[in-house]
Amino acid sequence: MTVLVRADRPESDLSNDLHLRRHRPAQMSKQTPTRIFPAMLAIPLLVGGVACSEPAASSASQAPHTFTVTIENMRFDPQALTVKRGDRVVWINKDMFPHTATSAANAFDSGSIAADTSWTYVAGTPGDYAYVCAFHPTMQGRLTVQ
Amino acid sequence: MRVFVAACAGLLTLGGSAGAMAQNAGPTDPQIAAIVVTANQVDIDASKLAESKSTSKEVKEFAARMITDHGGVNKSATELVTKLHVTPQPNATSKSLQDGGDQNLAALKKLSGSAFDRAYVDHEVVYHQAVLDAVDQTLIPSAQNAELKALLVKVRPAFVAHLEHAKHLQAALGQKS
Repeated sequence: MTVLVRADRPESDLSNDLHLRRHRPAQMSKQTPTRIFPAMLAIPLLVGGVACSEPAASSASQAPHTFTVTIENMRFDPQALTVKRGDRVVWINKDMFPHTATSAANAFDSGSIAADTSWTYVAGTPGDYAYVCAFHPTMQGRLTVQ
Repeated sequence: MRVFVAACAGLLTLGGSAGAMAQNAGPTDPQIAAIVVTANQVDIDASKLAESKSTSKEVKEFAARMITDHGGVNKSATELVTKLHVTPQPNATSKSLQDGGDQNLAALKKLSGSAFDRAYVDHEVVYHQAVLDAVDQTLIPSAQNAELKALLVKVRPAFVAHLEHAKHLQAALGQKS
């Protein structure tokens, strides 16, 4: 689940939150010292959360992550996804007919993904890849490989 | 133009019937099932003709997509009504769809080349718009069974995408003249 949080919420957002949290206790410290402690405890917990979800931060998370893109109602969900090189991306087709995930730059092409089946891609060369469903060009997605 | 008007007559009737039903009692679930299956089947039939008769790569690809997608929808619809023990019940709307489809096929069979492509794609635009209207105004509001309603809601984005695709194709064919 931490993986999903990371995908939806860039680290910069979390950093902003941390700065806010650090400032608030400092301003309040003289008036209400007892309230500092829960707030300060929250900082290491938050930092810990970020570290655990960051593959580069520990040896345990060197292993590739697996991300899922659901194809349903003629849409890719999430529409944009950022992964690290070596991560696995699984496109699951929950529509009633076939779709594809086809990179405009020919970086990857699933071919036909039948209804209720999936296709897995191991992220290769870093880059920003726009992709479409070759069958339904109105369906567009983006995969960023870091 | 005459061909186009003839081919669209059935679809206009669909809109009329759907409107009339919305004012009175809407179609029952067994009637909705028949409307869904017929709507998909008439497009599969027209698209099969286009796939074999068109000389345009784009039109053939579009037709192949319609056959696959509407086939997939009908497979899901058939599985659902079987599971729900609903027997599709032919009705005025499904009959007008079938008649419109038959007229379209008859008109298309007389055409060839770019005239065929235009007539087929023009009809695809009108057809998908008409079915979309019926789905929104009549079928989804009338469906009683939650799973049948969910199926209709899920089918809707496909009709929207097909309509967009058909309009692009229609514009591209227009530029070739």
